[in-house]
Amino acid sequence: MNSRVADFAVFGSTPLAQLLAGLLASRHGKSVVLVGEPSARYRLPRAADISLGPITRPETWALLKSTTPDTTRLIGRIGGRHAQNHVDPIFFAESEAAREALGHVCNMARSFGVIVEPLPTRLMGADRLAVRVGDAVALNRPVLENALVPWHEQCGVERLPSTVYWAQDGAAARLTHGDTEIIAQQTILADDAAIEAALPVTSRSSVLVEHLHSTILTRSGQHLLGPAMLHLDSGTWLMGHEEGGMAAFGPGGIGHFARNLVTLLREPDPLQQAGQVSFSTFASADGAPIIGRMGRNGATILTGFGGWGTFAVPALARWFAGEASAAEADWFAAHAPERIRPVAEFSPLTDELPA
Amino acid sequence: MKAQNHRLPQASPRGLSGSAIDRSRPIRFTLNGRVFHGFAGDTVLSALLASGVDTLGTLDGHPMGLRAAAAPSIAAARVPGSALPMERTFAQDEAEYVTWGNKPLPGMFSRLFHAGRSLGLNLTRDGSALDQPWRSQAGIVSQASDLLVIGGGVAGMSAALAGARTGLTVTLVEASLRLGGSSGLFGTQDGESTPEDHVAQLTAEIAASDAITILTATEVFALTQGLARAHRVQTEDSEARAEVVDLPARQIVIATGSLERLPLFAGNRLPGVCGALEAYELASRFGIWPGASWLLATASNPAYRLPILMHETRIKLDRILEGRDHANSRFIEFCKAYGIRQFPGTLPHSATPSRRGEIEVHPSHGEPVTVDRLIVCGGWQPDLTLWHMAGGLSRWSRERQRLEPTGSFPSIALAGSAAGFLTRRGCQASGIDAVERLLGRNGSGVDDPVIDAVHETPDGWIVSPETDPRGTPGYLDSNRTLLRRPAPVNPGWAARIFERGPTRPQILSQNPQPVNIGSICAGVVLGLIPEEAAGIAAQERVALVPLAGEEPSPSGTSTSVVNPVPAYLQGRFGPDERMVAITHESGRTLGPGCLIFAGEDDLDPLHAVGVILRTIQGETAALVSAHTPARVIVRDSGQNVPAETVPLSPKS
Repeated sequence: MNSRVADFAVFGSTPLAQLLAGLLASRHGKSVVLVGEPSARYRLPRAADISLGPITRPETWALLKSTTPDTTRLIGRIGGRHAQNHVDPIFFAESEAAREALGHVCNMARSFGVIVEPLPTRLMGADRLAVRVGDAVALNRPVLENALVPWHEQCGVERLPSTVYWAQDGAAARLTHGDTEIIAQQTILADDAAIEAALPVTSRSSVLVEHLHSTILTRSGQHLLGPAMLHLDSGTWLMGHEEGGMAAFGPGGIGHFARNLVTLLREPDPLQQAGQVSFSTFASADGAPIIGRMGRNGATILTGFGGWGTFAVPALARWFAGEASAAEADWFAAHAPERIRPVAEFSPLTDELPA
Repeated sequence: MKAQNHRLPQASPRGLSGSAIDRSRPIRFTLNGRVFHGFAGDTVLSALLASGVDTLGTLDGHPMGLRAAAAPSIAAARVPGSALPMERTFAQDEAEYVTWGNKPLPGMFSRLFHAGRSLGLNLTRDGSALDQPWRSQAGIVSQASDLLVIGGGVAGMSAALAGARTGLTVTLVEASLRLGGSSGLFGTQDGESTPEDHVAQLTAEIAASDAITILTATEVFALTQGLARAHRVQTEDSEARAEVVDLPARQIVIATGSLERLPLFAGNRLPGVCGALEAYELASRFGIWPGASWLLATASNPAYRLPILMHETRIKLDRILEGRDHANSRFIEFCKAYGIRQFPGTLPHSATPSRRGEIEVHPSHGEPVTVDRLIVCGGWQPDLTLWHMAGGLSRWSRERQRLEPTGSFPSIALAGSAAGFLTRRGCQASGIDAVERLLGRNGSGVDDPVIDAVHETPDGWIVSPETDPRGTPGYLDSNRTLLRRPAPVNPGWAARIFERGPTRPQILSQNPQPVNIGSICAGVVLGLIPEEAAGIAAQERVALVPLAGEEPSPSGTSTSVVNPVPAYLQGRFGPDERMVAITHESGRTLGPGCLIFAGEDDLDPLHAVGVILRTIQGETAALVSAHTPARVIVRDSGQNVPAETVPLSPKS
């Protein structure tokens, strides 16, 4: 059997995982094996890939502001200009707590130079507070994912199917593919499906909380006021499609989420679903992203970023390559599984901590 | 009465005179003001087809054939709120129907301007013309049964009888108007009774059982463990009414049979193009056979039964195009013995409408052939629609070129050809076996005596290599989703440079319409979907109607609770951060999230010393760092507001 060594084994099929693998190889000169489901792009998307989220921490805004232009240039180079488009997402809230959170998100966005425009109540209803947040970037996944395979070939990233046999050996992974054995010095579980498949429940840190989420694709989308909308109370994203209809992502099983969606959209009847899937997601107990090793020598996990994590991928790659700036290194250290200081973000799935 | 030109003679041989209709009882009804004639026992759809209406309307300027799998819903004028499927509704004498949601030209205009063959729908303009409005309705809960059997073919009837014999209360649901399924087309194997005799025997046994409740004209469209939702049509006092019913059951058998695959060529949904099974059903049940000439294009042996059955009629079969190169079958040998011309390894490249309303078939070899009717058969796919709705998985079988179910549920089982069995004996045994397994017993096993491939060549696909240069569209399936075969992408140099190519998604994941199992299979064969993704796509893209009580609510949603310092702010201003009140003279209300700075010189958000929490009863609370000065600047909507920090009042 042939045996060789790679610097990283990146497990995951999301754009974040695929971009991370490519950047580690292309910019940082690392040897990378990407282990992912080849058919993932035929699945329904699991998240809104958009460069904004309900972020309340200035350090996170600063990180995202510094990486988004680089990411969009990278995506443009890989997939052309149709691989992404500019959108002005609408964030809206109903409950008092969510309205407060929206206030914090808006002021934080403004302080980083983002235009935030309140929407008149006639558009959303008097019981809803809504703002339009300017100039975000949304991925066009089908276009981008078509282009990622040749990009990986160009970068020298070796793609292996998720069915490949592998064993964790501390931080390293031993992958067996045909008559080749690859020892990857560092294992990165870069999306929730990879974490669910690879990380035994007993190895999951106490900060890692599993939730059931769903995606529903529906032809009904006539009530969307913008191409992307986020309902802060429930954490539901609504993404309109060029061809009509929309994809909705949010917490709960399919039935629960579908009923919530009807209420959210104020539809008189159940939605005509064109596709649906429920799946496990991971989040931290404090709602903030988690990045770091599970235990002293375990695999490194990335989770809890929401859709915006894709746009922080240059910083992620620098950090894995040991080339992060001081601010980036501080941010990553603060978001390790074992928190060194509070970094909680707003999340409807997070029980509020006592004051 | 007016002639129904598309009926076979009453004295037609081999059971083709129409077993469901009573020719001695003519009926007359209207649809959108047009008068149609039929016989008692006709469905609205069969009466339309018998009267020569074979066209739905147009889609992007191309005519679209009217078929059972893609017929518009209707409503009786006297019960306008009750949507009816025309293929499951008995046509009533003197009834007045309208197409659901359609806005036909009124009265005289309708009669003048609708072409004789067409219902006149504009499918381009009205994307909801083929919707089934009952899919969004809640169900009326019916009495629970121990066993629900979905599908009244041989497998379903066998399952129902097996359940009843073990003492279970059974509900047997069948979408069509009568039990029996599709076994008639598939003929017999050695030692078997005829399908008609077999079905008659099972039907009689079921009728004699008090434990079995039969619901015909009832189509299940949603399923989860323990519950099915169905749309049921009943005729009472010469009036068709429909209702949505929820059918609770401890155990469920899915015996929904197979779907006939649509051969993939341009023009595969033109008026006059019909699947072999549908053609057989129309002929055997309603005595309908439009036209005087026909052509068969098939890659499946059972379709050869049609030429055999039709041989003694006056309908002229021009030829048989066989998609497989070296197909063997006893049915093929019969056809040879009848002297029918067969062209092995020949595909229909495309079909186009002729000026006289016929179909011009362009085979892969030879000259075009003009016929009245083109019967096609692209093989069979187990109908796993409800299986996928219930959460069942499937995977593509490269050997059999079809999706096959995988995994199991404790309370739902597949049976018959839906489970992948091919013979009538296998379907019958699988129905019994499914019930035994659901009851936790060791199943008696299923003997599915498939004839060796040397003698009965397995199904193939009919896939023409290209789309039609004349622009006639080809579709992926014969159902109501109207998914087209994509045109090959061949961008010119300008498109390559300026990226003016299509920005629409080229893969299924963002296509905002359901993708049925037939389209998924067609996508695999065309290379649009990788084999390993077929099962995933089929399950995720099924048109699911969620049923109540499937799963618990998500945990942790607590945003209705306002904490004094929400978790997402805690620790932001250091371990010794504190709450204070903010006073200012600006007259404005400072909203949550406004940042507080020590001075105007440094407004970097990373250097903020505090943030406004909220204003309650005139007092504005803030969270600030331990060393925040008394005089501060609050940023509100881009403006600096001088303010002071003071201790919070005790009420806060």
